Amino acid sequence: MSYVDTTPVAVNPRARRRRLLRKRFLRRPLAVLGLAVALLFILVAIFAPWIAPYSASETDFNATLAPPFTEGHILGTDELGRDMLSRLIWGSRASIQAGVLATALAILIAVPIGIAAGYYRGWIDPVIARLTDVLLAFPFLILAVGLAAILGPSLTNATIAIGLGAVPGLIRVARGEALGLREEDYVRAAVANGASDVAILGRHVVPNMSSTLIVQATVLIPAAIIGEAVLSFLGLGVQPPTPSWGVMLSDAQSYVSQAPRLAIFPGLAIFFCSLSFNLLGDGLRDVLDPRTTR
Amino acid sequence: MSLLDVHDLSVRFDTDDGTVHAVDGLSFSLEEREVLGVVGESGCGKSVSAMSLLQLLPETAHVTGSAQFDGLDLLAAPTSKLRDIRGRKIAFVFQEPMTSLNPSFRIGNQLSEVLQRHLGLGRTAARKRAIELLDLVRIPAPERRIQEYPHQLSGGMRQRVMIAIALACDPKILIADEPTTALDVTIQAGILDLMRDIRERLGTAIVLITHNLGVVADIADRVIVMYAGRKVEEAPVRELYAHPQHPYTIGLLGAIPRPGAADEQGRLREIPGRVPSLAELPAACAFAPRCPRADEQTRSQRPELAEVRPAHLVACFHPGRNGDRA
Repeated sequence: MSYVDTTPVAVNPRARRRRLLRKRFLRRPLAVLGLAVALLFILVAIFAPWIAPYSASETDFNATLAPPFTEGHILGTDELGRDMLSRLIWGSRASIQAGVLATALAILIAVPIGIAAGYYRGWIDPVIARLTDVLLAFPFLILAVGLAAILGPSLTNATIAIGLGAVPGLIRVARGEALGLREEDYVRAAVANGASDVAILGRHVVPNMSSTLIVQATVLIPAAIIGEAVLSFLGLGVQPPTPSWGVMLSDAQSYVSQAPRLAIFPGLAIFFCSLSFNLLGDGLRDVLDPRTTR
Repeated sequence: MSLLDVHDLSVRFDTDDGTVHAVDGLSFSLEEREVLGVVGESGCGKSVSAMSLLQLLPETAHVTGSAQFDGLDLLAAPTSKLRDIRGRKIAFVFQEPMTSLNPSFRIGNQLSEVLQRHLGLGRTAARKRAIELLDLVRIPAPERRIQEYPHQLSGGMRQRVMIAIALACDPKILIADEPTTALDVTIQAGILDLMRDIRERLGTAIVLITHNLGVVADIADRVIVMYAGRKVEEAPVRELYAHPQHPYTIGLLGAIPRPGAADEQGRLREIPGRVPSLAELPAACAFAPRCPRADEQTRSQRPELAEVRPAHLVACFHPGRNGDRA
């Protein structure tokens, strides 16, 4: 606009808040590490075709079960002579895709339902609350496995199953937030000023629950990554020969005694990938919590 | 015809402990450009009656009676109609300035929201008007303030912003519910001054809800005193201060801290006892347990409002300051 702030500090509040949050975040080495590793995994997944030295499904029967560092196979090859490193790199795509999309799906479904229950109350609230209680009685993975079994095996269906599996827990979070926010004075003031429900939800309720949702998302992503690995391991997710860490683990079962690295490498990939998102989520939760003072 | 005509307004809440009669048969009217003070202790029903006018009470409230405004009964109007009145023709200012602004949005943004909704202004026009409004409520450097977030403003500033939002659409009526209670005294005076100025310049009728008779004396034209959900006294402000009739009003006036108000022991005079529970409304004067003039009649019958002096209504069997009966 037409005027420019000349005072250097404390004038642009959003920038100041961002700077403060960044400072708080940078003071947590584990969170920074988590962010770095998570970003690395995401970049690897995006640029897999350019990074991977070999195709993921190209077999070489002259070099099956090659140990690491043989003939350009840095991590060796599997029982069909496929390059381990390339399969790990290609496999990250399934994990990241399942992690991110399943979480997005869960949020898209759960938040409107949770808000409907928490903000509008009425008869719909106890109905939704009890239903989520019932669904929460099933462990997340059991729910996902059941759904994947119904939907049929594929990465898309596994993603949907994991996303739906995470919905009940998220509904509860969104409902709780909405319950609290509807009692806020600024929501009351907005009603008194003639705001419609859409305006109140869009401007007052959803924006003020976003930091909670961001934290929930970073907690859900690693859970979904593990979920994808589990479903693929059980044959309910990614179908061979498409690589996925879960599929690789499953394939490695018969060779565990001969070549344990076939199981160890994808296992480590799952471990580090989900750990990085977990650390990031922990860090964000600390930083975004207004009660944090450090 | 009055700007607002409230007739026989009653509000009941059904709670687990039985029915609570928050407001019982309240009638009043508000003229154009008038400042009406509504006074009473916490829980006497003053806020509830104001909120009920715009149907802002939770669904557990049962509201009966009528409130004629602009050819419409506010209490019976559908929500869709009310949305055009809320903030447009009748605006509210609440007690808590610290929490009444959305922490996630800039001041200008929150002002523009109302302007865009009710007046259909575009972004640039709304921004320009937002600056004018902040200027109107005497916030310095408004073009910088609209860029700020609520947490950067003091309580008094935030209440000014709330008043600016309320005035955004040039409403006919401004209902201010304890607008100065959360602020310290010097800021209070500024806000009251501002409200007086608004009435002068914009001609907005104001309903000022407060527990502070001093505030009312400062600004109101007419005063309603409420006790336990009922109107116990109503008079023009000078009349009320010069000739208070209801013992409760007299007690309230005696409890205003000022030089000479203290009794022989140097204590401020107080009204003994507490506000009665609104769950049980006996067939008696609700003030009887605390009233020095209570007798058999007071305890067995409920006094009705009667005009004891010109334009001066009171609901009491023994009205008047000692010997100053009409």
